[in-house]
Amino acid sequence: MGSVSVCPHRPIAYIVKLELKNISKSFPGVKALQQVSITFTPGEIHALCGENGAGKSTLMNIISGNLRPDAGDILLDGRKTEIENVLQAEALGIAIVYQERSLTDSLSVAENIYPVHQPRNRYGYIDHKVLHKNASEWLQQFRLTMHAATPVGKLSPSQKTLVEIIKALAKKPRILILDEPTASLTHEEADILFNMIRRLRADHVTVIYISHRMAEIRELADVVTVLKDGIFQGTVPSSTPDREIIRMMVGRELAADTFVSDVTKEVLLEVKELSGNGFEDISFNIYAGEILGFAGLTGCGRTALARTIFGDSRYNAGSISIKQRPYSPRHPANAINAHIAYLPEDRKTEGLFLERSIADNIASVSLSVPCAAYNAGKERETADSYVKELDIRTPSATTPVRKLSGGNQQKVVLAKWLATQPDLMIVNEPTHGVDVGAKTEIYNIMKKLTAAGKGIMMISSELPELLQLADRIAVMWQGKLITILSRKEATEEKLTMLASGL
Amino acid sequence: MNIKNSLTDRVFTLGSSIVVLCVVMTIAFPSKFATVDNFSQLLLNLSIDTIVAVGMMILMIAGMFDLSVGSIVAFAGGMAGYLMYYHGIPVALAISAGMLGAVGIGFINGWLIARVGINPMIQTLAMMGIVRGFALMLSGAGIQNFPYDFIVIGQSRLLGLQMPVWYMIAIVLLFAFLVKNTSFFRRYYFIGGNERAARLSGINVEKMKVWAFVISATLAGVAGILLSSRLGAALSTSGRGLELRVITAVILGGASLSGGYGKIWGAFLGALFMALINNLLILSRVSGYWQEIILGVILIVAVGVDQLILKKIEK
Amino acid sequence: MRSLIYILLLFACACELPPRPRSEKGGVIKSAKKFITADEISADEEYIMVTTAINLPLYVNHDQKAFLDWGKKTGVRTSILGPSEWDVPTQIATIEQVIAGKPAGLLINGTDPGIAQAIKKAVDAGIPTVVYDSDIPNSDRHCFIGSDWYEMGRLQGERMAAITGGKGKVACMGILGMENMEAGFRGFQDAIKKFPGIEFLGKYDDKANVETAAKIAADLLAANPDLAGIAGFDSNSGPGIALSVKESGRVGKVKITTVDAEPEHLALVKEGVIDYLVGQKRALFTWLGAQFLFDMRHKTLPLSADDAEAGVIPVPQTVITGSIEIDRENVDQFIQ
Repeated sequence: MGSVSVCPHRPIAYIVKLELKNISKSFPGVKALQQVSITFTPGEIHALCGENGAGKSTLMNIISGNLRPDAGDILLDGRKTEIENVLQAEALGIAIVYQERSLTDSLSVAENIYPVHQPRNRYGYIDHKVLHKNASEWLQQFRLTMHAATPVGKLSPSQKTLVEIIKALAKKPRILILDEPTASLTHEEADILFNMIRRLRADHVTVIYISHRMAEIRELADVVTVLKDGIFQGTVPSSTPDREIIRMMVGRELAADTFVSDVTKEVLLEVKELSGNGFEDISFNIYAGEILGFAGLTGCGRTALARTIFGDSRYNAGSISIKQRPYSPRHPANAINAHIAYLPEDRKTEGLFLERSIADNIASVSLSVPCAAYNAGKERETADSYVKELDIRTPSATTPVRKLSGGNQQKVVLAKWLATQPDLMIVNEPTHGVDVGAKTEIYNIMKKLTAAGKGIMMISSELPELLQLADRIAVMWQGKLITILSRKEATEEKLTMLASGL
Repeated sequence: MNIKNSLTDRVFTLGSSIVVLCVVMTIAFPSKFATVDNFSQLLLNLSIDTIVAVGMMILMIAGMFDLSVGSIVAFAGGMAGYLMYYHGIPVALAISAGMLGAVGIGFINGWLIARVGINPMIQTLAMMGIVRGFALMLSGAGIQNFPYDFIVIGQSRLLGLQMPVWYMIAIVLLFAFLVKNTSFFRRYYFIGGNERAARLSGINVEKMKVWAFVISATLAGVAGILLSSRLGAALSTSGRGLELRVITAVILGGASLSGGYGKIWGAFLGALFMALINNLLILSRVSGYWQEIILGVILIVAVGVDQLILKKIEK
Repeated sequence: MRSLIYILLLFACACELPPRPRSEKGGVIKSAKKFITADEISADEEYIMVTTAINLPLYVNHDQKAFLDWGKKTGVRTSILGPSEWDVPTQIATIEQVIAGKPAGLLINGTDPGIAQAIKKAVDAGIPTVVYDSDIPNSDRHCFIGSDWYEMGRLQGERMAAITGGKGKVACMGILGMENMEAGFRGFQDAIKKFPGIEFLGKYDDKANVETAAKIAADLLAANPDLAGIAGFDSNSGPGIALSVKESGRVGKVKITTVDAEPEHLALVKEGVIDYLVGQKRALFTWLGAQFLFDMRHKTLPLSADDAEAGVIPVPQTVITGSIEIDRENVDQFIQ
C-alpha cells in the first residue's frame, strides 16, 4: 500500500487523549482495581504489565466498554465520559483485540473483519466485491496470502490472531488496545504487527499494549505502566531494565537462573525416520532427564509431530520406541498407557473441560484407564493436593475451570498430566497466555520432572524460554528437522535463521 | 448443601416440583388422585417411557440423541410376536431374537455415527423410518394371542404393581448407580463436555459412542418386549411419538442438548413429571386438544425458569 | 449381599401371576362379570368416551356431537378423552387411568385389537363398556355397535362394477392392517370378482392422510392411462383421490367411490367428481351406545330378577347399524 496511512479510506484524523482517574472496580471477594490513575499520551505506545490478577484485563474491559467502574472517571480529551457499552466505546474510537478469539469460524475472513457496517451496493444489499477488496488490502498489509473469502475456520491460530487484529484496526480506532497479540505469532508476523503499530503511533493513535514479553516491550513500547494486585505501581520509560520492571510487577527480584542439566545417558524416546501428515523423515532421541526444545515457524510441523507421537495422528513411515520398546500408537490411549503425556497448544479446546470442576479435570485422564469404580473422595484428595502443590489460585477444587485465569488453567492441565506419572511429557507452548509468576512456576515444575529422570519435548515459539530451559534445541522447517543445536551453540539469531530455512 | 447448589441441581428442583404437584392434585381431586389404583396405573404407564429415557439420558450426557427408539420399541415387540405367533418359536428364543435385533440396530446406529461420522440426527431419523417399516412388516395389523409364558412377563403383579413397574425401578436404580460410580459411564460426561479434550485425555470416544447407542437400543428393546407383553399384543403403532416424549422428559430432567449434563434420576423424574401432568389433565377432563399445548408450555417454562435462576446465581 | 438375595427371593414369591385364559371345560357356564348398577339417576354420573385422534372432523362432527347431545338430553355428565394423534398406546393408557375413577359407563372407539386388555380391565372392574366403530375380539366388551365393513366394501364393489360397465382397472385404498378396512377390502374384491372384465390392481395404504391418498391416486393415474375407478375406505381417501383425478383432468373417466359423507365428500358428489358414497350412521354408534350403558346401569329393562347377579347382559351383544348410500340423486338431502 506504499505510503498510505495504515488505515485506508480514512476521514479526518483527530486526537484523543485518554486519562484514567482513580478507577476502582470490585467483584465479589476480589478488589480488582483500586484507585488506578494512568495518563495515556496520544502518539505513544504504552505497554501495560502485571501478573495475572493484577487487574490489566479488568482495566482494559472498562476502557473498552465491557465493564463499568465502581468509582473513578474516564476522561477523553479532558472531558468526563461514561462508556456505557462496547458499541459506544467503538463509536468513541476505542478498539480492543482480546486474547480470546471473537471470530466466527463459518464466516469468511472478510466478513469477520467487517462484522457490521458492511459496504452496500445501490440496492442496499451487501457489496461483496467491495467487502473483499477492502479486506484484501488489509491482508496484503500483513502479508497474509489467503483469499478474503476463506472461511476463518480453515486458518491457523496465528493467522486467526492476525485477522482479529485487522478486525480491530479496520474500525479505525484512535485508541487501540492489544492484549498479548504476539502470543500465537512468529517473529516475522510480530515484526509486521510492530511496524503497523509504529505507523499508528505516527498517526497519533494511542496504543495500549499488554504483554509479558520484556524483549517486545523494550523494542516496541515508549513507556511501561505496571500494575500489581490492582494498584498502580508506576509508569516508567521502556528503557528501564527488565529486572526493575519485573520487580515492580512481582515485588521480588527474579533470581538469575543458573541452569542445571539433568540429562542422563538413558534413551527415553527414539524417533527414526518418522513421516506423517505435515512432516517427513524425522529422527531424534530424547534422553531421560532432558528437555529437548523444538523451535520453528508456525506450521513447520512441530505440532503435527507431537500429535503423532501422542497417537492422535497416524504416521505412514518410520518408527518410534519408548524406553527401548517399540511403540506404535493408534490412539492417545496407547500413548497414555506408555506413560506419555501431552500438553496441547490450545488448552481451551483441547486440554480442558471448561464446565467441569478442577477436580474433574485433574482426574480426567485416569478415566481412560479401564477400572470399574470411580471414587469421588479420592478424586477430591488428589485434586486438593495438586492445587496446593502447583499453587493454583482458586476458592476450591470444585470451581469450574472456566472461571480460572489462563495461568491457573494451564496449571490444571499440568496437574492432570502429572497425575498420570508420565515418563515423557510433550508440552506445546506451555506458557501461552500465562503471566510471569505462573511462568516461573511452570518452569520449575518442568525442571522438577527432569530432575526425577523424566524427559520433556518442549515446543515453543518463545525463543528466550527455549534458551533458558532446553538442553538441546531442535529446529524444524517445512516439515523437516533441520538440525539440533546444543545449549552452548544456540542463540536467538541462529535459531531464527534456521527456523526460516536459511 | 447450600441453597445455591440445591437450586442448580435439577433433580432437586424437579423433585420438589413433583411433590408440590402431588399435594395440589391430592387436594383438587381428593378421591381420585391419591388412590393406590391411580398410582399403580400411573407408574405402569410411566414404566415404558422411563426405561427408554434412561438410555436417552446416557446419550444426551454424551451430547447425542437417538430418534429411532420409538421404532425399536415397536420392532422388538413385533419381532418377538411374529416369531411366537407365526412360527411357534418358544418364548425365550423369540424374546432373545427381538433383543438381538434391538442390539443390532443400536450397533449400526453407533457405528455409522461414531466411526463413519454421520450426523446423529440424520442417522437416527433415517433409522426411525427404516425400523418402523420393519416393525410394520412384522406386526402387520397387530399380533395378539401370545403364549401364556410371554404375557406373564408383563402382566404378573408383585405387591399389587404390575411387573413393568418393577423392571423400571430396577433399571433406574442400576443405571443411577453405574453412572455415578463407574469410570466407564463417567466418561460420557467428558465426551459431552469436550470431545476433543476427551480424546486427548485417552478416552476412546468412538468406542464409547457405539456403546451408548447399543445401550439405548437395548433398553428400548426391553421396553418393547415389556410393552407387547403387557398389552398382550404387538401393535404396529407402538412407540410412535415416544422419542420426542422421552427427549422432553430427559431435558426436563436436567440434560443439556449440547451434552455434559444430566443424571439418571433426572430422567426418571422428568418422565414422572410428565406423567403426572397427563394424569392431571385426564382427571380434570381436559380435552386432548390441550394436552400437547400444555406439555410444550411446561417444557419452555421449566427450562426458562432454570435459566433465570442460573443467571441470578451467576451474578 | 446375601441378605439382598433373600429379600429378592421373598419378593419373587409375592409375585402374582395373571389369570390363565379360561379353558374350554364342558359343563361350566360362562358367566359374565358382575357390572355396577344404580337405582337413582344422578346428575353427576359420568359416561366417558375414549377415542384416539380426538380432533378428527369425522369423529367430532358425528360421534362426539351425538354423544354430547345424548348427555344433555339425559341429564348426565359426559366426557371425551384421548390423544389428538392416532396414538393407540396413549388411548390404552387413558382407558386405564379412568377405570380407577369408576365412571358410570365407558364408550370406547375400537381402534386396534391391542386395546383388548384395557377393555377387559374395565369390564373386570364392573364398568359397563360398549365398543363402537370396529369390534375388538377377546375383550369381553358388553356390546359392540358399528357398521358392517364387509357390507360397505361389497356395496362399493357392486356400484363400481355398475358404473364402469363391468370393465377396466380398479384399485382401492385405505388404512392397511385395520381389521374393519381389511373386511371392507374383502367385500369389495368379492363383489368385483363376479365381473371378469374388471382387473383389480391392488389395495394401497393412504394412512388416513389426504396428501398420501392424493399421491397414491396420482401415481395410479400416471401408471394406468386406462384406469377405470378407485375406491376409498377411510374418510380422507375420497378428498385425496378426487384432488388427483381433478388435477389430471380425468373427471368422469375415472370413477370414484368412497366411504363417509362429510361436507367435502358431499360437495364432490354434487360436483360430479365422486360418484358414490357409502356413509356410516355414526351418530347411532354413540347415541345408542351411550343409551345401552345407561340402560345397563339403571336396569331399564330387566331380563331377570337381578341381571348383574345372574350374569345376564341386558343389552344387545352386537348391533350393526347399516349403511347410507349417497349419489348425485339424493346428495342434496344431506347437504346442510
